[in-house]
Amino acid sequence: MGRPAVRPPRPARFTGRHEVSGRDGWADAVLTSGGDSPVSSPSKLLSKSEEKNCKQKRIHIEREIREMGKKAKSSRKGKKSWRANISTEDIEEYFENNTKDALSGGSLSNAPSESLFYVDKSRDLSVKRKIEKSKEKVLRCDSLLQRNPFVQPVPSSVQKKKQAKKNTKAVTNDKNDDDQKDESVPGSSTIDLWDGEDAVKITKKLKLSVIPAVEVEPPGCSFNPAHESHQDALAVAVADEMQKLYRDELGPKPVPLTVPGEVIDEEEKYFLDADGEDNDDQNENLIENGDADPEKRPHKTKLVTRVEMNRRIRRKEQLKAEAKAKKVEELSKEIDSLPDILQEIAKEDEEKHKRHLRRIVAKKERLKACPPRLGKHKFVPAPLQVLLSEEKTGSLRQLKGCCTLVKDRFKSLEKRGLVVPSKKSTGK
Amino acid sequence: MPKHYRLPGKKKEGNAAKYITRSQAVKYLQVSLSVFRKLCILKGIFPREPKKKVKGNHHTYYHVKDILFLKHEPMLETLRDIRAYEKKVKKAGTKKNWDLVERLNKQKPTYSLDRLVKERYPTFIDALRDLDDCLSMVHLFAALPAVERERIQVGQIHKCRRLSHEWQAYISRTHKLRKTFLSVKGIYYQVEVQGQTITWLTPHALQQVLPTDVDYNIMLTFLEFYETLLGFVNFKLYQSINMKYPPIIDSRLEDLAADLYALSRYFDANARASVVESIDVSSSEESELKLARLQHHLPTNELGALMNLVEDVGEKDEDDAETKECRNFFKDMKFFLSREVPRESLLFVIPAFGGVVSWEGEGAPFPESDQSITHQIVDRPTQSRKFLSREYVQPQWIYDCVNFRVILPTDEYLVGRVPPPHLSPFVDNEAEGHVPEYAEAIKRLQAAARKEVLPLPGAGEEDLGDPQNLLGIIDRAEEIEAAEKKRKMAILQKQYLDEQKLKLEGCNYYDRQNVSKQKDAEGLDADADADADADVEGTDADADVEGTDADEVPPPDLRQIAEDADNMSKVLISRKKRKLLEAMEIGNERKRAHVKLLKERKKKIDEAEKSR
Repeated sequence: MGRPAVRPPRPARFTGRHEVSGRDGWADAVLTSGGDSPVSSPSKLLSKSEEKNCKQKRIHIEREIREMGKKAKSSRKGKKSWRANISTEDIEEYFENNTKDALSGGSLSNAPSESLFYVDKSRDLSVKRKIEKSKEKVLRCDSLLQRNPFVQPVPSSVQKKKQAKKNTKAVTNDKNDDDQKDESVPGSSTIDLWDGEDAVKITKKLKLSVIPAVEVEPPGCSFNPAHESHQDALAVAVADEMQKLYRDELGPKPVPLTVPGEVIDEEEKYFLDADGEDNDDQNENLIENGDADPEKRPHKTKLVTRVEMNRRIRRKEQLKAEAKAKKVEELSKEIDSLPDILQEIAKEDEEKHKRHLRRIVAKKERLKACPPRLGKHKFVPAPLQVLLSEEKTGSLRQLKGCCTLVKDRFKSLEKRGLVVPSKKSTGK
Repeated sequence: MPKHYRLPGKKKEGNAAKYITRSQAVKYLQVSLSVFRKLCILKGIFPREPKKKVKGNHHTYYHVKDILFLKHEPMLETLRDIRAYEKKVKKAGTKKNWDLVERLNKQKPTYSLDRLVKERYPTFIDALRDLDDCLSMVHLFAALPAVERERIQVGQIHKCRRLSHEWQAYISRTHKLRKTFLSVKGIYYQVEVQGQTITWLTPHALQQVLPTDVDYNIMLTFLEFYETLLGFVNFKLYQSINMKYPPIIDSRLEDLAADLYALSRYFDANARASVVESIDVSSSEESELKLARLQHHLPTNELGALMNLVEDVGEKDEDDAETKECRNFFKDMKFFLSREVPRESLLFVIPAFGGVVSWEGEGAPFPESDQSITHQIVDRPTQSRKFLSREYVQPQWIYDCVNFRVILPTDEYLVGRVPPPHLSPFVDNEAEGHVPEYAEAIKRLQAAARKEVLPLPGAGEEDLGDPQNLLGIIDRAEEIEAAEKKRKMAILQKQYLDEQKLKLEGCNYYDRQNVSKQKDAEGLDADADADADADVEGTDADADVEGTDADEVPPPDLRQIAEDADNMSKVLISRKKRKLLEAMEIGNERKRAHVKLLKERKKKIDEAEKSR
């Protein structure tokens, strides 16, 4: 039998449980003694053996026998079978257990817990210390989650960059708050970007626009311009304005949103239609009359006589000959006037050439003045910033300068074709 | 779409295959329109105009290859991530989960444009070449108000201010400024950095308004890229003059909005520190500390020390002649700016030409009462309290002097007078044909200055105002001009003779063509009247030729021959070039007509004034 010789005391938590058999209870006790329990060492628990309780035991036996009867299900007819089919194993076992209990001090399964355990009130420091120590002990999984001051947290790549930047700034720059804000703007600019230029593959770059990024205004737009150039610039500005005015005046008028007149009722509409139909009928009648006439016309054909035929043929031939002679004559005339023709051709060529040239020049100038059409809306150039004659004071202090330079830069972007003109910017 | 992935029904070549519309591109890239716009701007991809607009005239077209280029951009994915993230934040916000919103906002995915800058500008020179727009934009935003509605952040404006001041400080320090022009729109500056001419426009010191018909999202995207670009450019430029890049600025001066002065002080301190550092090698942090200390110890009122430092640096550099000229232009002058003049601009321009400047207000290097000030810049009707030791001039004087590189007489620019016209230095008067009166006067002064006829600027400026004195100068200037003309004519004559000889010897067409080309070039260089003179001279020379080489066969008609040679050269050059030449001729003719018109107008105005 694999039972331990010294019976381990039973833990308190098992006392309330009603055991089916003592044996099972013992197995439980063995198991629990090996397991982890809040009360750590079994040797510290003191158990008290008790005298047997006879009454309890009797009840126990009775129950056992009842159960035995239930278990035996086989037939007991006849003496042979009666003898053969009743096993005495249970009883034997019971008695064995009983003797064992008697030897060892009795079953503990039905003993009350107060009788089994008592609180150890003697002060044992080492035990207490041990308990506290075990309480202090942090599980490994918990310790892993706790922060170690000596180990830097592993940052994501973005944070790393920020950190590095912050560090360099802290070292190199002792300026205050503004710079801290600036860090949010990307771009570190504390390195030499063009250090090793040899490794760069130079790609072909296409020239986007012939228009320079910063166009210098004409001299007439100076804050204190010379008289002639000022007049010049003014003339340009005025011409622009007048052009706009004329375009508004002479251009096609927009379709009006409302039309003057009364609203026509549904019923009146029918009348209108009826009038129209009448007219149509009359027209149709007229047409019918017209059609009728040619049918009535007498169809007459004239007979052609032989003489007439001959005459016609002769006439035809004569005309042919005449035409030929005329052609020859003209040809000879043209040959005579060959230099004139040559001159004419040359003139034409020249004209063509000039036209072509004009077109090229015009195209170039157009490209210089405004960008190619990039979208739905056409680029509208900003008006020239020029002082009026009465605003010309010559003093820098009294200058009425342009305060919408943002718009100017934006127009420049549009003009160079970097930004597509939009509805908002063209003001349509 | 790529060639291997084209549907069977689609076109394989031509405009239909090469270009796609914007909406197609947006669909293909699977992003929203705003993200597409942003990406296009950052990558530098812009719409094109195909010869044949397959989908109609009202669409915007992009080249397929451009779109494929965008498709392989890693930033596309980042932008998608950002969009997803924004959705998350929005969702948390609508659920009123403010903690989550806060936390999410803290760790938003970001991107950097460094790689894109490098990709678009493979070399530093490329970046410099394309800096015009960048500088204009940054300077503009530095002057804008922060508007929450248009999402213009305060931080961004401060950054623009910082970048623009750093750039100006570099230019001013290295004396690279060449031209300025005050127009109604703003102030134009032109500089020459590493052989590249860069022009930019800054707004006047006025309150800028934000018009509603501008798409600020687009502007801000451009600005975002330009800020990064300018940051790198500034870094490189500062490195080239041995300065640490993010400059450490005296915060007191910065609060007083005198960033430029603070930067110049930083430079000086840095120069001093470098001298110190050469003696004892110290760690970077230490040196920085030292630098900051130096900056504070730098005497504010003792300008001699400052000037010495500037000179030290100047002597070390080996620059071109123009930079040297610019450095010494305002050399012995000391300026003081009154309250009403544009301070930022003048603080940039005067030091760029070697002048020393102070202003009315806190933090200024020297006060108004300083006896060594030679010029005070004022812009008011009358000046009540005057120091006799200094000139009181209007700000325009500075700009005009700088543009024409001559110290102009100050009497026309004195307080309360209407100054002479401010001429644009960006106009080539010779090419335009029309020269304003004042430009001619300045030209004479320039010629006089070159000959050192001009009396010393400090003492004899009143003399310069005298008409007689000026007349003398003019006479001399005219003499010089006449001599110049003579020399030119002699050259032309000699060339013409050579040409004649060549013709007589009967050399081949090519040589003749070359010679005629040379002649053409000469003709372009010389003035119109000089040309006419040359013609006259030419006929004289022709007579000479006939006289000397009588035994040889005289040419039948020289003019005819010259014309023939011209025609021959025209025939020999390619069609494209010929047409260009002809177009140029047309343009020139137009210009001439314009000049004629102007002259006529002038004459009419004069007559009207006379009759009055």
